[in-house]
Amino acid sequence: MPEPATARAAEHHALVCEDIHKSFGTLEVLKGVSLSAKKGDVIAMLGSSGSGKSTFLRCINLLETPNSGQVYVGDELIRMETNKRGEPAPSDRAQVERLRTRLAMVFQSFNLWSHMTVLQNVIEAPVHVLKRPKREAIEQAEALLEKVGIHARKNDYPAHLSGGQQQRVAIARALAMDPDVMLFDEPTSALDPELVNEVLRVMKDLAEEGRTMIVVTHEMGFAREVSSETIFLHEGRIEEAGPPQEVFEHPKSERFQQFLAGNLK
Amino acid sequence: MFDLHGYGASILDGASLTVAVALVSLVIAMALGLMTALAKLSGVRPAVITATIYTTIIRGVPDLVLMLLIFFGGQILVNDIAPMLGYEDYVDINPFIAGTITIGFIFGAYMGETFRGAILAVPVGLLEAGAAYGMSRRQVLIRILIPQMMRHALPGFGNNWLVLMKTTALVSVIGLEDMVRKAGLAAGATRDPFPFYLSVAFLFLAFTTVSVLALRWAENHYSAGVRRV
Repeated sequence: MPEPATARAAEHHALVCEDIHKSFGTLEVLKGVSLSAKKGDVIAMLGSSGSGKSTFLRCINLLETPNSGQVYVGDELIRMETNKRGEPAPSDRAQVERLRTRLAMVFQSFNLWSHMTVLQNVIEAPVHVLKRPKREAIEQAEALLEKVGIHARKNDYPAHLSGGQQQRVAIARALAMDPDVMLFDEPTSALDPELVNEVLRVMKDLAEEGRTMIVVTHEMGFAREVSSETIFLHEGRIEEAGPPQEVFEHPKSERFQQFLAGNLK
Repeated sequence: MFDLHGYGASILDGASLTVAVALVSLVIAMALGLMTALAKLSGVRPAVITATIYTTIIRGVPDLVLMLLIFFGGQILVNDIAPMLGYEDYVDINPFIAGTITIGFIFGAYMGETFRGAILAVPVGLLEAGAAYGMSRRQVLIRILIPQMMRHALPGFGNNWLVLMKTTALVSVIGLEDMVRKAGLAAGATRDPFPFYLSVAFLFLAFTTVSVLALRWAENHYSAGVRRV
């Protein structure tokens, strides 16, 4: 059961987004989306393509600049202003850069840096952004690569790995930041069907460890079994939200019912 | 038939100057080229317009004409400005500086086009990943964009470098004692031009051959991580 709003507000949140709006030209993609994640929450975001779920995720770490709304990482608000051209922009780039290190993102198309080996990919941001000693970063990276089952390939370049392996490296790269919140942008959508499970298994392990995760996905099974809250987005609005047992068993919104019917396997 | 009449050392002297002019010009051209490419891709109107005017002028006027324009025009400009700054004497522009700036300026435009294409070939997602992991714009540029674009830029870059190397022959017209001018002087003194120009041709060929080998190595180096099919 969802807790009363007052109790939720009183707790420490890892991430809060309030009333996020985003337009591309005249097309309004997000029409006021809010979300709050406590530490250890796994929030699955579902929706058909074009529903705005990926855009919302990219607004959290400001890869897209929201037109309005607030993002709090922990209890720190990302400060925004209106720039000379009348567009919204972050007031302080350094703040954005700092907060991004606490929000590690895993991309649909992996986006591993192809000129670096697997190990170099994982230590890149810890060494050059977090300024950790290189030896320490390598030790940590080796442990993480072990954990995602890809240590044997640490000196290979990403192009020589399968999609599933690349995505596991990308997850290790995210974990190396010791992030407060992990953002997954359709992490299995670019994978061949037989490679999906190896990635989902790693993500499930992370959820069980108590990682805070926001997962944009098409994987109903993952949402249903692993998430602590499932959100269904439709045309830029939250159409249905709640614990997965509830929303999958008793969907209130007709659109979500249709969506579920269309996604039955 | 092949007798350098004792001018061999003098031509080798000129050859080292040729290499120096080429290398200094290359550094200027690369810096200007990168700035031009970034300016054109920035989407900031004044930057785009400035960069476009620059490349249009350079690519539309012959190198020799530009060289003479910048050398003599620069001379006039410097001597108009110098008195305002309190210099009374006539200022001679150092031909080495004039030559390298001109060649750097010309090839900056060509490098700009090469770099622009190479930057466009880098997947945006890789740059986004850098930003998403907290890198500053500068770090994304240095740690991701430049190493990624090198692979795409190298073929065009190599071509520009070879042409730049050969263009250094033009600096002889503004009085720089490069190997072409040394050969010309020796040819005049001995009335036997052929052996001198033949040696210069071979020296150029030697430099460009070494360059081609170095470029091949660099292309391999920057292709690390690319699946070879």
